[in-house]
Amino acid sequence: MNQWEVFVMDVAELVEGTDLELTIRTLNPGVQKYTYKRVRAQVSTALDQFADQLQVRLGRGQLSKARFSIKVIEEIQRCPAKYL
Amino acid sequence: MSKISAPRSNREFVEACIKSGDAVRIKQQVDWDNEAGAIVRRVCELGQAAPFMENIKDYPGFSYFGAPLSTYRRMAISLGMDPASTLPEIGKEYLKRTNSEPIAPVTIDRKDAPCKENILLGDDVDLCKLPVPLVHDGDGGRYVGTWHAVVTKHPVRGDVNWGMYRQMMWDGRTMSGAVFPFSDLGKALTEYYLPRGEGCPFATAIGLSPLAAMAACAPSPIPEPELVGMLSGEPARLVKCETNDLEVPADAEIILEGVILPDYKVEEGPFGEYTGYRTSPRDFRVTFRVNAITYRNNATMTISNMGTPQDEGQMLRSFSLGLELEKLLRSQGIPITGVYMHPRSTHHMMIVGVKPTYAGVASQIAHLAFGSKLGPWFHMVMVVDDKTDIYNWDEVYHAFCTRCHPANGIHIYKNTVGTPLYPFATPHERKYSIGSKVLFDCLWPVDWDPINDVPTPVSFKNVYSKEIQDQVTSNWTAYGYPPVK
Ligand SMILES: Cc1cc2nc3c(=O)[nH]c(=O)nc-3n(C[C@H](O)[C@H](O)[C@H](O)COP(=O)(O)O)c2cc1C
Ligand SMILES: [Mn+2]
Repeated sequence: MNQWEVFVMDVAELVEGTDLELTIRTLNPGVQKYTYKRVRAQVSTALDQFADQLQVRLGRGQLSKARFSIKVIEEIQRCPAKYL
Repeated sequence: MSKISAPRSNREFVEACIKSGDAVRIKQQVDWDNEAGAIVRRVCELGQAAPFMENIKDYPGFSYFGAPLSTYRRMAISLGMDPASTLPEIGKEYLKRTNSEPIAPVTIDRKDAPCKENILLGDDVDLCKLPVPLVHDGDGGRYVGTWHAVVTKHPVRGDVNWGMYRQMMWDGRTMSGAVFPFSDLGKALTEYYLPRGEGCPFATAIGLSPLAAMAACAPSPIPEPELVGMLSGEPARLVKCETNDLEVPADAEIILEGVILPDYKVEEGPFGEYTGYRTSPRDFRVTFRVNAITYRNNATMTISNMGTPQDEGQMLRSFSLGLELEKLLRSQGIPITGVYMHPRSTHHMMIVGVKPTYAGVASQIAHLAFGSKLGPWFHMVMVVDDKTDIYNWDEVYHAFCTRCHPANGIHIYKNTVGTPLYPFATPHERKYSIGSKVLFDCLWPVDWDPINDVPTPVSFKNVYSKEIQDQVTSNWTAYGYPPVK
């Protein structure tokens, strides 16, 4: 199980039952903690729907009470290949 | 000029602060995830000794130095002065040194440069190898740059810029930062690199000598490598980067080298800011790709924790902004007595003392200050006369509440340069950096008759004869009062 976190302005941005493109950061313990990835993912308010868990922060960093489970389908690389 | 002996590196500075009781060694293990940030924050709010944290979880061999210049004592030490120096004394010394002849930096051989002791290139480059702290819980990321300098060179003019622009770790190779469009780097990007689609080489230097850090966040028109020389009385020692032509302070603790990407942006923020709030929205901001990391053995990462007073954002920035504004007004021949920004104003209010010898002098001061390069960083100018002690808020506040005419003395300026950081600004204004400003003119109008129209201050010193004053003060204890110091 992985722990993830996302920043949104409004929890309603996290629509269930459809593919979303999200910038999420890992909360897994260790030196990578808080580093980001851009991903295609699905989220669910049913916490046992997917193996990974997602917590949510709002515009000024406030932790939301909303909790989701999340399935990361694939990583999306937005950075132009010439820089990689 | 008498010889200046200011600490030449962060290490010398830490040592000097420990010796004078202005830093403490923390030997027990500290977590980079919130704990170190919380220590620095509490130190700032209590005005205590700077923490030198020697044992960081997950990062053996690295240390932290927090709250480097969040007291006037540490500012005095950084300038090589007596820690007990008063603020006006420190200010006078800053003005003296920064009005002297520029001192050009020297370039040294890389084998003599401590910052080259460890070099990571290619696939070894990973910011997660550095103890990048999560400074405040709820921040948008771990911040690599909170007390540092971003080094760049103007592509046409060739002048070098060191600026303290916050940098967040997005992933192991990517950082994003708040480089405002009116800053020196912001202008180089928008005028040159972005329209051409060219990458801008940069180097971030962390763990600088305190005067190099002071120069990087002082809004002075003098190029920072020379400004450091003037502040410290000797040439700054620089060394060439591994992957670009920039030069960095040779004794810095950690150097990151790379390119600012013209066509790729990642999210930055939110972050605890100098105003004491998290205000500016998370946004896609200037993005830095890191191509090399070099660092000293046992490198120390420096941390400033911005929030409610008093941290570097208020203490140092109020100090240097105020003094740079004083230089500006004097360069224009305005008959000022001085400029002061009270730290609690988070450098939002510029208090100016002036001899009111002609009409409109308060407006002239406000126009110059708001219209200058420094203008985006404050939105209130309060002008008092030359008899008011600008450092004494009680006196300034009394002048404001009694002399500032509510209809004639308050002047509002709309649609000025702003920043996304102003807590009072509307969400729209923050998004587009739209500002507004206000002048509080607390001078008696020059067209009032000085004898019959200007009110007389009723104070012990002002209304009684010298004889009566002497009689009362010499009898003070005889009346039964304790002596007055
Ligand atoms: C701790 C600290 C953090 C700062 N962060 C930023 C920042 O993120 N962006 C910015 O434009 N200025 C920031 N500043 C203010 C700049 O350092 C300051 O305006 C400096 O003069 C910029 O250099 P420039 O005049 O060469 O552009 C910060 C200052 C301090 C003390
Ligand atoms: Mn500059």
